[in-house]
Amino acid sequence: MDRRTFLKSPAAAAAVTFSGAALMGIADAAAAAVRPAPIDFKANLPASGGFPEKWICGSPSCMDNKDPPVHVHWYNAHTAILRQNKAYSYEAPFAPLYFGNDRVLLLDEGFVQLRNDWDLRGVVDECINDWCRRNNRDPASLELLVAFSHLHADHFAATNQFADRPNTRYMGLTHEEMLGFWGMTNFPEQVVSLDLGGREVLIWGSPGHVISEFAYYDTYTQILFTGDMFYRGRCYISFWQPWFDSMKRLIDFCDTHPVTHVMGCHVEISKDGQDYAYGMTYQPDEAPVQMTVQQLRDAFAYAKTITKPGIYFTGTVFLCNQTRGTTTIDQYPYRYD
Amino acid sequence: MPTRATYSPVLSGNSMSVTGSAYPNGNPDLPYNLPGVRNTDSVVALHRSTPVIHDYGCDGPAPGRFVMRWIYGSNVAARNRDPRIQVVQYNEDTFVLRQNVCVHWEAPFTYLLFGNAGALLIDAGATADARHYPLRETVDAIITRWSQARGRRKVPLTVALTSGEDVAQNQGLVQLAGRADTVIVPRPLEVMKRFYGLGATWPSGRGKIDLGDRVIAVIPTPGTHKDGVSFYDPYCDFLFTGDLIFPGKINIGNDRDFVASLERIKAFIVDHPVKSILGGHIEMMFVPGRYYPRFATYKPYERLLEIDPALIDELLEYARAVQGKDTMLIRRDFVLLNGVSPDQRTPDWPSDLPNITPPRPF
Repeated sequence: MDRRTFLKSPAAAAAVTFSGAALMGIADAAAAAVRPAPIDFKANLPASGGFPEKWICGSPSCMDNKDPPVHVHWYNAHTAILRQNKAYSYEAPFAPLYFGNDRVLLLDEGFVQLRNDWDLRGVVDECINDWCRRNNRDPASLELLVAFSHLHADHFAATNQFADRPNTRYMGLTHEEMLGFWGMTNFPEQVVSLDLGGREVLIWGSPGHVISEFAYYDTYTQILFTGDMFYRGRCYISFWQPWFDSMKRLIDFCDTHPVTHVMGCHVEISKDGQDYAYGMTYQPDEAPVQMTVQQLRDAFAYAKTITKPGIYFTGTVFLCNQTRGTTTIDQYPYRYD
Repeated sequence: MPTRATYSPVLSGNSMSVTGSAYPNGNPDLPYNLPGVRNTDSVVALHRSTPVIHDYGCDGPAPGRFVMRWIYGSNVAARNRDPRIQVVQYNEDTFVLRQNVCVHWEAPFTYLLFGNAGALLIDAGATADARHYPLRETVDAIITRWSQARGRRKVPLTVALTSGEDVAQNQGLVQLAGRADTVIVPRPLEVMKRFYGLGATWPSGRGKIDLGDRVIAVIPTPGTHKDGVSFYDPYCDFLFTGDLIFPGKINIGNDRDFVASLERIKAFIVDHPVKSILGGHIEMMFVPGRYYPRFATYKPYERLLEIDPALIDELLEYARAVQGKDTMLIRRDFVLLNGVSPDQRTPDWPSDLPNITPPRPF
């Protein structure tokens, strides 16, 4: 595995010397003294957790929406899942926030750029402060990694809100920079392991919806985050064979690793399988974001039968095979003879 | 921009408005005293003791202008603070109401016309909840002010829809139910036909709604909706066409009816002066052939509402071209969707239009 050092070594390993070394040393020692024992992310796996009964899901009149810009749900004590408000953007993606002893990983953002429109940075900071209070840590001691599942703007639009945040690294907006961020040299097969400080996240390529996409597996919650290539809605498959191969890679992974939930970036379908059309800002009866491994397997089995472009419903998701530009599911309701 | 000999744009001003008014500072070649002055009653009525009888007679269209820009939503719909209904007075007796696009993405236009014997509300908006879309309150307030200015105690209101079945135009009706001195044109197709006296002739024939010296013609125009009608106002010379003709994605409900209705409109235009066709929505951008997708809540590059009546020829030509085909066809000022999804896209770009990709705002 050819990876950058920051992926495998804890941030604390970097030694820095200053002219006031003695003073700094005392301060460090004091900090170390109060620092509690590291959280064990390797025992009692998978870590239990839960999804909310209902996410915020927009409103009939957008300007009358009183929900917060971001719904923050703590899946468990060390895992938050963020969801953008549909009245802020119809894309309303889900964004996991994984905490480790040394680092915090934010995956995906939402489809609004500026802080004055929605303060994602503030929300993330508040989550980090909250976690640090509960775990008796100094927020400044944690490094924030801002990454995204794939190279679409609804997943990286808010990136620059983090430009002036200390102790923060974020992914660039090209395929090369994305791969470089994870130290990958053999996309998409190569699996890299990101160490958040006792908590490992496995990352590999998952092209198909777009070329530049990753799958993320959190070894602590054992959630498999599949981005936009597989989610509860219309999986827009731009490139069939790479997508099919990525699905195979996910299935192979599930064959060899325990997976509690498969989670995509969006929900565009109701509990009873109705399609919420592209762009809708109110989804009152939406299906849960989390899916089972069986649903993933069923979709893959269905995908094996697909030979032509078109829209196919697997029972869980719509597979929109190379149809993005020309077709959708809705019909004009006022047709008559 | 036609100019006359004595007018020099260099000396007397160039138009910077999108509406392209040729004489931004007035046309010096026209007489100072134009006959349209008699269609104004705001001030001369001030000290009358009896209700004003407004003069709805005029040579050509009654004076009036759309100068304001329509509200167009905002990037973050939840933070929009524009009025829920934008009210624009076209002239003293003609109002246009637009629903805020952040209340409902259809952002329909609703028209309120006054005559000497009553008022007509054309269409009723896309939202039933008065807290989100205070149609009744807004209409009541305009009628109150108008009736005070005209010295009228009662202004009977007729509410008519360009399509009774269209949920983007009929939702506000519930707010007007039970309103005093109000007649709501019944919605079921058969009852509506009889109301307009078109029971035997539909879709031929014409109905009318007499507002008192301002007689609105009712033209059956099914095609996008089974129960579609258009309204013609001989005072402003406006044709209100709802979903049949508007600058946007025109979803055809029945292509035979659609072509027949356009032919009917074309024949109507031949012997009635039409200044503008006003539809129920705007979906096109001012970039040729480009449109906003469904559910968009931020439309900063919207095309103008007004459609030149000459566009009917192009519309009819391409309506005939798509007849019998499940297809989508893009033109500069409209898009036709026949038998396909409202979200249909097409790789076919019309060769006579520049293909400009407008910037996408975040």
